[in-house]
Amino acid sequence: MKKLLAWLLWLWISLVIVGAFLYAPLAKGFLGESSRILFFHVPMAWASFIGFIAAAVWSGRYLFGRRDPRHDRAAAVAIELGLVFGVFATVTGALWARIMWGAYWNWDPRQISILISLLFYGAYLALRAAVDDRETRGRLSAAYALLGLVVTPFLFWIMPRITYSLHPEPVINAQGKVEMEARMSQVLYASGIGFTALFFWIHNLQCRIQALFDRRAAL
Amino acid sequence: MVSGGIGWVVAVNLIIWTGLFLYLLRLGKRLRELEKDS
Repeated sequence: MKKLLAWLLWLWISLVIVGAFLYAPLAKGFLGESSRILFFHVPMAWASFIGFIAAAVWSGRYLFGRRDPRHDRAAAVAIELGLVFGVFATVTGALWARIMWGAYWNWDPRQISILISLLFYGAYLALRAAVDDRETRGRLSAAYALLGLVVTPFLFWIMPRITYSLHPEPVINAQGKVEMEARMSQVLYASGIGFTALFFWIHNLQCRIQALFDRRAAL
Repeated sequence: MVSGGIGWVVAVNLIIWTGLFLYLLRLGKRLRELEKDS
């Protein structure tokens, strides 16, 4: 059953790749084929956001629950993966910026906000690495990750909307509407679902690897 | 008719994605074996 789901995900993302290049039309006002990066850049940023929020939820469960190490592990892995997807979103965004704006980095509010998020969660990993005692590490890092419930929505959704930005209008614009050609939005949403599923699949594998490490370390 | 450039990009993306997918599938299988052993 799990294998079938995995193969369905393979098919889903393969169709997204084909759809992104051969089905969706080019967006108006973009140079060449550059708008196609949207179908990968936005879902990667979305997966990063999901990771940071999921980490805050697991951290809350750890902190206010029975201090289950599985929740601590799940939060740490979600942040690691959120950082990986965040770096990919930043790199794809920079490649697009080079084509459209002539430079990889322009200190645009969107670029600054993702950079601050990456630094914020990079500090989480530094915090974890700095504390040896498992109980103290779990408690401190859970409290830190909980701050993400405020920091992450602000950096991902609010800050880029309250300042002037060269970045194209968000998928959901300031009026709360999606103004996008139908085939583009179909591929974009499909990609978002695919990347979210991929995120949780890798998250599950990484948590199991960490659990094995922890079990062996305890022996 | 698919233009040559875009066709190549699609092919390269599909190869990368299939490679990652097969790696994850194999990792899952190996993990199940290790979990059984421990």
